[in-house]
Amino acid sequence: MQEFLQHTLNGLSFGSVYALIALGYTMVYGILAMINFAHSDIYMMGAFGTFYFINFLKLGESPSPITFAIGLLAAMLFSGLVGFLVEKLAYKPLRNSPKMNVLITAIGVSILFEFGGQIVFGVNPKSFPQLMVDAEIFNFMDISVRLLDIIIYLVTIISLVSLSFLIGKTQTGRAMQAVSSRPDMAPLMGININKIISFTFVVGSVLAGVAAVLVAMKYPKIDPMMGVKIGTSAFVAAVFGGIGSLPGAVLGGYILGLGEYYLIGYGASTYKEALSFMLLILILLVKPTGLMGTKAKEKI
Amino acid sequence: MNFMAKNKLVLFVISFIVIGVICQFALNSYIQALVISFMINAIMALSLNFITGVANQFSLGHAGFMALGAYTSAVLTKMFLADQWYFIPVTALAGAIVATAAGYLVALPSFKLRGDYLAIVTMGFAEIVRVLFLNWDYVGGPRGFNAIVKWPDFSISYAMTGFFLFITFLVLYHLKISWFGRNLWALNEDEIAAEVMGTPIAKNKRYAFLFSSFFAGLGGALFGHQLGYISPASFGFLMSVQILIFAVLGGLGSMSGSVLAAGILTALPEVLRSLPTGGIDIRMIVFPILLILLMILRPQGLLGRKELF
Repeated sequence: MQEFLQHTLNGLSFGSVYALIALGYTMVYGILAMINFAHSDIYMMGAFGTFYFINFLKLGESPSPITFAIGLLAAMLFSGLVGFLVEKLAYKPLRNSPKMNVLITAIGVSILFEFGGQIVFGVNPKSFPQLMVDAEIFNFMDISVRLLDIIIYLVTIISLVSLSFLIGKTQTGRAMQAVSSRPDMAPLMGININKIISFTFVVGSVLAGVAAVLVAMKYPKIDPMMGVKIGTSAFVAAVFGGIGSLPGAVLGGYILGLGEYYLIGYGASTYKEALSFMLLILILLVKPTGLMGTKAKEKI
Repeated sequence: MNFMAKNKLVLFVISFIVIGVICQFALNSYIQALVISFMINAIMALSLNFITGVANQFSLGHAGFMALGAYTSAVLTKMFLADQWYFIPVTALAGAIVATAAGYLVALPSFKLRGDYLAIVTMGFAEIVRVLFLNWDYVGGPRGFNAIVKWPDFSISYAMTGFFLFITFLVLYHLKISWFGRNLWALNEDEIAAEVMGTPIAKNKRYAFLFSSFFAGLGGALFGHQLGYISPASFGFLMSVQILIFAVLGGLGSMSGSVLAAGILTALPEVLRSLPTGGIDIRMIVFPILLILLMILRPQGLLGRKELF
C-alpha cells in the first residue's frame, strides 16, 4: 500500500508534465489539424534555453524561489520564441498543402532540432543548474512528499487555470475557439487567422517550456534527445484523451503518467516504451476519437 | 509504355553487368558496399512508395517490416541452415513473408483510420516490433544479432541484391500501371469517389499493404545479410524516416524516382563527409533540411508521378 501510494505520487507528477506537453499537441491539432512532431523538440529547446540563461547569469550557485521564477520565465520565453519561429518558417508556407506534406515537414523539423541540437549543444548530457533545493516536506507512513513534487503540482494547476481562463474568457481565446471550429468562417468574423494560429503555437510552446523546467529540476540531466520519449508519451496522452480536446489532454496525461509509473514500479520497465504505443493502437481501434474527443462529420 | 520491351531489358541488363564489372575491378570495397547499400535503400524506397505514393496510405513503420525481415532471415540461417550463404535467398523470402503477415495485421485497421492516424499506428507498430526484439534474448536483445552469414564476395552480393531490386521494381512498377494500380490511384485521389465507383477500397488498401510489407521485409533481410550485424537500434524511427525521405525526394508515386533518389541520397552523405559535425551522422542534418525545403519548394519531389522510362 505504501509502495502504491509512492508510485501514485510520482505518477501524478509525471502525469502533470505529460498533461502540459499534451496540451500543446492537442491545441495545435485543434487549430491546424496537424500533428506537430516538433513539439517535443520545442520542449527540449526550452530546457536548453534555461540552462544557458541561468549559467549566463551565474544563478546556478544560489538556488532560491527567485531563481526558479527566472528559470521558468526564461524557459517560457525561449520555448515560445522557438515555437513562433518554427510555425513562421516551416509550417506557414504549407498552409494550403496536403496534410501529408505538413506532417512530413513536421518530422523534418523535429529531426533537424534533435541532430542540430547534438551539434550545437553537444551529445553528452548536461547537468541542469539547481534552481531550488529539493527537500522532504513531510513523511507520512514512509511516503515521502518532496518539495519538487509539490511545486510541479502547483505550477501545473496554475498553468491549467490560466490556460482555461485564456481560452474561455478572453477575446483571443474565443477567436482561437472560432478558428478551431470553423477555419473557413472565422476570417469572415474579422479574425486574423494567421495571428491566431501563431498565438496558439506560442501558447502551446510556452506550456512545453514550463514542463521542460519542471522535468529538468526533477531529473537534472538534459540532452538534445530528451524530448523524444516524453514527447511520444505526451502525444499518446493527447490522442488517448481525444485530440483537439483540452480537458481530454489533461486527463490522458494523468492516466498515462500513472500507468507508466505503476508499470515501472511493478517490474516490466523495459516494455514502458511499447506500452504507450499499444495503448494508442488500442484506443484508435476501439474509439478513434479518444476519451473526450468529438467525432467530426465528414462532408462530401 | 512497356517496361519489358526487349531492347530496354537488354540495355538494362548490359548496363547492370558493366557497372558490376567496374565496381568489381576498378573500385575499392568501400564504394562496393555503398553500391549494395544503394540497392537495398532503393528496395525500401520502392516498397514505401507503393503504399504511400500510389495508394496514399501514409506509413511511418517501414523500419518495423524491415526489422521483421532481417531478424527472421538471420535467425533462420543461423538455426536451420548451418550458415550456408546460398540459402540466403530462401530465408530472405521467408523474412519477407513474415513481414507480409505483419503487414496484414497493420492493414486491418487501415480502412478505419486515415492520414495522420494511420501514420501513428504504423509508427507504433514499428516501435512495438523494436521493443520486442530489444527484450528477446535469443536474438541478442539490445546487443544486437551478431555474425549473420554474409554473401561470400562482392560479385555475388551485387548480382543477388541487384536481382532482388530488379524484381521489386518490376513487380511494383507493373502493379502501379495495372488495373489494381489504377484502383489505388482512384483511392489516392478521392477515397469517397473511388468507393462510389465501386472499387473495394478496404480490400485494395489491404493488398497494397501486403505488397509493400513483403518487399520491405525482403529489403530488411538483404540489409541484415549485407552488414552481418543487426540490432534493434538500426530499426528505429529514424530508419522509417530515412526511407520516407527517399520516396518523397524521388516523387511519391514514381517508381523510377525512388530508385533515383535512393542513389542520390546514398551518395550525398559520402560527398559531405568532410564537413565538421563533431561525430554526428551528417545524414541526420542534411536529410531533414532537404525534406523541409522540398516540401516548401517542390512538394511533388523530383519526378512527381512520372517515370523515367
